[in-house]
Amino acid sequence: MSKVAIVRFPPGENRQKVDKNDYRNMLQAGLMALAGTLNLKAAISKYLPGGVVGMKTNCLARKFNSTPLPLAEALADLLVLSGISNENIIVWERTNQELEWGGFPVSQTAPGVRYIGTDSPGIGYSNDFYSSGPVNSLVSRILTEMLTYNINLPVLKDHSVAGLSGGMKNMYGGINNPNKYHDNNCDPFVAHVSNLEPIKKKNRLTILDAVRLQYNGGPGYNSRYVTAYNGLIISDDPVAADRIGLEILEHFRKINNLPTLEKAGRPVRYLKTAEEIGLGTSSLNKIEILAFIMDNSGKAVKGDYI
Amino acid sequence: MERRIFLRCIGCGAVAMAAVNAKIWPDFLGGSGPAYAAGYTKALSSKEARYYKKLPEGGIECGICPRHCRVTDLERGYCGTRENHGDVYQTLVYGLPCAANIDPIEKKPLFHFYPGTSAFSLATAGCNVNCKFCQNWDISQSRPEQTDNMELAPSRVPQICIERNVPTIAYTYSEPTIFYEYMYDIAEAGHKNSIRSVMITGGYIESEPLKNLLPMLDAVKVDLKAIRPEYYKNIVNGELKPVLDAIVQIKNSGKWLELVYLIVPTLNDTEAEFKELAQWIKTNLGTDTPLHFSRFYPQYLLKNLPPTPQATLETAHSICKDAGLEYVYLGNLPGHPAESTFCPQCGKILIERRGYKIYQNLLKGNRCYNCNHIIPGLF
Repeated sequence: MSKVAIVRFPPGENRQKVDKNDYRNMLQAGLMALAGTLNLKAAISKYLPGGVVGMKTNCLARKFNSTPLPLAEALADLLVLSGISNENIIVWERTNQELEWGGFPVSQTAPGVRYIGTDSPGIGYSNDFYSSGPVNSLVSRILTEMLTYNINLPVLKDHSVAGLSGGMKNMYGGINNPNKYHDNNCDPFVAHVSNLEPIKKKNRLTILDAVRLQYNGGPGYNSRYVTAYNGLIISDDPVAADRIGLEILEHFRKINNLPTLEKAGRPVRYLKTAEEIGLGTSSLNKIEILAFIMDNSGKAVKGDYI
Repeated sequence: MERRIFLRCIGCGAVAMAAVNAKIWPDFLGGSGPAYAAGYTKALSSKEARYYKKLPEGGIECGICPRHCRVTDLERGYCGTRENHGDVYQTLVYGLPCAANIDPIEKKPLFHFYPGTSAFSLATAGCNVNCKFCQNWDISQSRPEQTDNMELAPSRVPQICIERNVPTIAYTYSEPTIFYEYMYDIAEAGHKNSIRSVMITGGYIESEPLKNLLPMLDAVKVDLKAIRPEYYKNIVNGELKPVLDAIVQIKNSGKWLELVYLIVPTLNDTEAEFKELAQWIKTNLGTDTPLHFSRFYPQYLLKNLPPTPQATLETAHSICKDAGLEYVYLGNLPGHPAESTFCPQCGKILIERRGYKIYQNLLKGNRCYNCNHIIPGLF
C-alpha cells in the first residue's frame, strides 16, 4: 500500500500568496503524516538520512506556474532542522535561466543553500547514457554526481501533451533530450525517464505544489483555467503522488465543465506504464490517502482532499 | 582561458569514421583572445521560424518536417531547436552554428559534384530524428544551449568562402532541415556571391519547404537509411515514405542528387533489401543516380554491433550493379576500388579516389576520356 499525504488550506480560500511559514506548516504536517511519526526530524530522516539533498524544481513556465521560492526555502529550513546542513542542500534546474525565471537566486557556491542549473560551467550531463525502455538519455551531473538524494519539487498542472505534469514529468528537466519524448502523450517515456537508474535510485520524495492549480491550458500560465487548491501532495511513491494529482486535476476539470483528459485527447497513460515497470502504484485502491486541512492556528486536522 | 572546442573534423552522419575535436578557434572567423571569446555566445536566437501555423485552440503546428509537432507556449518541437513563445514559433539556432569546418566535397559524400573541391561545412545543434547509429549525436541530439555556439551571420559565410577560395557551402553534420531558415539565408547570400550550396540531409522534410529551398541549392545528398518502414520506425524514429517522397521531389527538381545507404549489420543488410533498394532507385530515380554504401562503425546507441563486414558491402555493391545501377560506391573502406568512378560504357577508371583524396581525374568535361560517354553530375 502506497501512502500519499495531502495538506491544504480550506478549499475555496483565496490563498494566492502562501508564504514560507504556511509552506513550512504544510510540509511538517505532511511529512510527519507520511512517515507515521510526530517527530519531524525522524520523519525527514526516514527518507533523507543525510548526505547532499537536492530539490528539482520546475521553472520552465516562468513565475506563475513554477515551483515557489517560499516552498523551497521552507523545505530547506526543515532539512536543516533535521540535521542536514545548508551547504548540503542544492536547489537545481535544467538551466540557470529557468531558475531565474522562477524567481530563484542563482548561487553556485556555498555558503548556504545553492541554486544551480545543469548548464552551469563545469556541470552539464553525464558522460554515459542511461537507458530504460525507449529512453536513452544523459542525466544531469547534479543528480548523478553531486546529490545523495533528491526531492522532486514541481508544480502540479495540466500539460498540453502529457495531460498531467507532476513529479515524473518534471524529471524531463533532468535529462539532455526531453524534446525526444513527447510522442503518444509522453507514454511510455515519462515512466521510463523516471526509471533511469540515477533518477529512480535518488528520488526519495515527491512534493507537488498545488496551491494554485492550472487545471487546463498548461503547462504555461493561463489565467482562465486557474483555481486555488491551496495544497501540497507528498509521497515517497512517485507514481502514487502523480496519480492523486491526476484525481485532483480531473476533479477541477469536471466542476469547470471540461472533458476528462482522456476525452480531451490527452490520456495520462504513463501512470499505468509506470506501475507496470515497478516504479510505484497507480491503482487508486492501493493508495492510502492521508488528507489534512490546515486550521487558522496553523495546525492540520483530518479532512477530505477534494 | 582555455579555447573552446569548436572545429569538428567529422563527416556527415552516415559516412564519418571518427570525430575529432580540435581545440582551436577557426581562423576563418578572425581574431583571437578577446575576439574569440566574443565569438561564442550562450544566447539563443529568437528569429521567427518559417512554416508553422497557429492553432485555433492555442499553440502552433510546425510544418517544416513530417513530424508536424504541435507545440504549446514555452515548449519545443522534437528537434529541440524551435520553441513557441506566445504562439510565435522561433528558431533558437539562427546564426549559431556549433560546428564548422572546411571539408573535401568527397567527405559529404558527393562524388559527381565538382570533384576535388572543398566545402565550408556547418551545422547547428538538433535533429528531427534520432538514429541509433548517429555518429554526431553529441550535436545532433543536443539542444542548442548544450553546445558551444558561435555567432556567424549568414552574410559572413560566403565571405569566408571567398577569402578561403572555397566554392561551396555544405549544410551537414546534424540535420539542416531543423536550421532551415539559417540554411536558406546563407544559401541565398551564397548565390549572390557565386558560392554554391549543398544540403546533406536525411530527407525528412515537408514538401513545401523543400520546394522553396531547392532553388537555393545546387546539390543534395540524402541519407536513405533503409528501404523498409520498420527500420525507420525502430532505428531512426522517423518514417520512410516522406523520405522517399522528398528524394523523388529533389530528383524531379533537376538538382544534383546522390544517395547514401549506411549498412548496419543485422538491421538493414539483407540481400533482399539491397534488391528492393536497387529496384526503387531504378524505378523512381534512374540508373544514373549515384548510390554510396557506407560502412557502419559502432556508435551512440548501437555500440553492441560490429562494423559492417567488407563482404556485406561488396555484396550490396554487386547486387545493385547487377540490377543496373551505374554508379555504386563503397564508403568508409579506404583504398577499395569501389571508391572510384568507372565509365559504365567502356569500364575505364575515370576518377580514382582513396579516402577523400583524388589521385586522378580523367574526365574530359563531363565525358569519358575513352569512349565519350556522358557522366552525369556537375564537373
